[in-house]
Amino acid sequence: MFNRRTLAIIKRELKSKLFSRTFIFMTVLVPLFMVGIFAIQYFIMSLSEEQKSKIVVVTDSEEIKSKLENELSKSNDFKTGLLSVNYELVENDKFSSRLNELKPELLSEKITGVIFVPAKLLQSKEVEYYSPNPNNSALFNKIKPSINNALIDIYFSSRKLTNDEINFARNNVDIKGFRVTKDEKVEEEGIGNKIALFLFSFLLYMAIIFSGSMTLNSVVEEKSNKIVEVLLSSASSTELMAGKIVGTVIVEVFQMIIWLIPIFLLITTSWFFLPAEFMPQTSVGYLLYFIFNYSIALITFIALYATVGAIFDNPQDAQSGMWPVLMLIMIPFFIAIGLESNPQSTLAQISSVFPFASLIVMPARMILVDVPLWQILLSIVVNILVVIGVFKLAGKIYRIGILLTGKKPKWSEVFQWLKMSA
Amino acid sequence: MHVLEVRDLVKRFNGITAVDNASFQVQQNSVFGLIGRNGAGKTTTIRMMLNIYMPDSGEVLFNGSKIGQNFKDSVGYLPEERGLYKKMKVIDMLLFLAELKGKKGREIERKANNYLERFELGNRKNSKVEDLSKGNQQKIQFIGTILHDPEFLIFDEPFSGLDPINTNLLKEIILEEKEKGKMIIFSTHLMEFAEKMCDHIAMIDHGKIILNGALSEIKKKYANKNVSINYEGDISFLKNHPIIESIEDFGNTTGIRVKQVEQIQELLGLLVKHNIVINKFIADEISLHEIFVLLAGKDTNNV
Repeated sequence: MFNRRTLAIIKRELKSKLFSRTFIFMTVLVPLFMVGIFAIQYFIMSLSEEQKSKIVVVTDSEEIKSKLENELSKSNDFKTGLLSVNYELVENDKFSSRLNELKPELLSEKITGVIFVPAKLLQSKEVEYYSPNPNNSALFNKIKPSINNALIDIYFSSRKLTNDEINFARNNVDIKGFRVTKDEKVEEEGIGNKIALFLFSFLLYMAIIFSGSMTLNSVVEEKSNKIVEVLLSSASSTELMAGKIVGTVIVEVFQMIIWLIPIFLLITTSWFFLPAEFMPQTSVGYLLYFIFNYSIALITFIALYATVGAIFDNPQDAQSGMWPVLMLIMIPFFIAIGLESNPQSTLAQISSVFPFASLIVMPARMILVDVPLWQILLSIVVNILVVIGVFKLAGKIYRIGILLTGKKPKWSEVFQWLKMSA
Repeated sequence: MHVLEVRDLVKRFNGITAVDNASFQVQQNSVFGLIGRNGAGKTTTIRMMLNIYMPDSGEVLFNGSKIGQNFKDSVGYLPEERGLYKKMKVIDMLLFLAELKGKKGREIERKANNYLERFELGNRKNSKVEDLSKGNQQKIQFIGTILHDPEFLIFDEPFSGLDPINTNLLKEIILEEKEKGKMIIFSTHLMEFAEKMCDHIAMIDHGKIILNGALSEIKKKYANKNVSINYEGDISFLKNHPIIESIEDFGNTTGIRVKQVEQIQELLGLLVKHNIVINKFIADEISLHEIFVLLAGKDTNNV
């Protein structure tokens, strides 16, 4: 399968790809794009938090009013001016008419919202919030601790408790994540690994889809501009396919290595500074694994893309014939992204050794937890078996499809090809 | 003497027999024509000869041994539907095609440049293929077919789309290759063309070889009842005449087939009697086209 003909094809692929505008463009653009996405996300997050809120606190109890005033004025947002509060003492049964009076201001957004804290709340702890936008979790997060503190103070003040006891009651439960690994040390988990999860999964997903559709197009082009018959009078279809896949894989892996250089430098040198929180716990070993896994994933999926390309003779039909392969990439991608909530769930464990899914889920899972070695090895064995299987299958379909033109074949016909001798 | 032998080839697609027990031989130093209408099985036969398709049964032998992948190195194939990488430079395209056949280096580059000069494309060698006219792309394709100096050349409709000057240039080069002792196969549906260029032919119809042999002998065999004439006047009186079997008008010439050989003189008498001005009267002449119609027995318009 690999001989001078395959080599000639690989060389041509390398030449035509490495010097293409798309390659240079993508090599530069993708890292910028990734940084851009995170920057935009960060910007949006900070934007929604920076918004100034003006609230009206309505209560029917003087005690609650003064306590709330006391607590809210201690909060950070109040001090920085992001939060301004008006306090009103209104009888319980007059609240609805007062709310009506405030309505124009609410609708014109002069006031962000009205918080109604009636005295009966001391039993139920149920606060009412009135606003055109009643699900303002950014605001809730700001004011909830203050309200809670005020209520606790009032509730316990009559019960002769020490300040320590009250402070204990006031404290929320705080869960800190500590990553337990095989190493002796136990590390506090920052947000860095979550960022790494998104980054690596997204990179993998995008690179596969992109190089796949490039391959698809180039196969369809070879088929539709008929060069394939000239090539087949020199090389066999397997040599042709292998050359094309190997050529593409070399180029794409090379590109991936370029993309990973910043991360490599980040973890091996102190040239870049990232707050400890954001620092991913990635090792050079992981990067090597990632590239190895990426190569196998590329061979697998590019072979599939090339096969689909060989079945159809125009880009439109080929795109619509792509969906089964696309599913094989997209579903694992969403599983990988969803790992964030629990990387040790049954779904996570199964999909990380499952054919095709493993290629995308396993590297994502390895970022978040210490995957047992046997699972990693199993996934590698599964992936290699899948590559071999895909290659055989693709070879058969490619051999027949590549010379067929005209009518768009049905899937049932494609299955027939598998039985044919060509 | 090299011989390429096609023996009992069979190929079926989805239950339809595309090539049905095809057998023929191609001799060295000869031009061989594989003739038949579109869809007769020419391309499928050629693809099996090139090992692109595996035959369902039968084999292709070169000098007595079965052909394999490496046989492709000694073949130059110009397929019916031409194709090049549009984004590649002309010279890179040619060198790539040669490299696939195992030829690379200075020598092949020099040869490529020579051919480009000969086709008046020397100044375009660094242009992209897509920037060339269709006719020029055809020339590039042709150069790519012969550049690696193959033993064995297969041309599928090589002259379609070429102007007369380049057609002549192509013919010249093909004859040169023949003189060098190469085996040349034409696959074509144009009978007149095959008649001019080929020494041997095989006619294929519905996947079956219906005629096979040296052109001169085939013509001799089928010629005796045929007359080809050039005339001025009206020969409609010959229609339904008892001695006439068929009349085919080819524009310039008309082929007339009489029922018996002896009736040829009678035909000449008839023409003179009806004051037809005869410019050319060739007895014992039959065109390949007529032979094909005779054998395939089909409407001539489709041929």
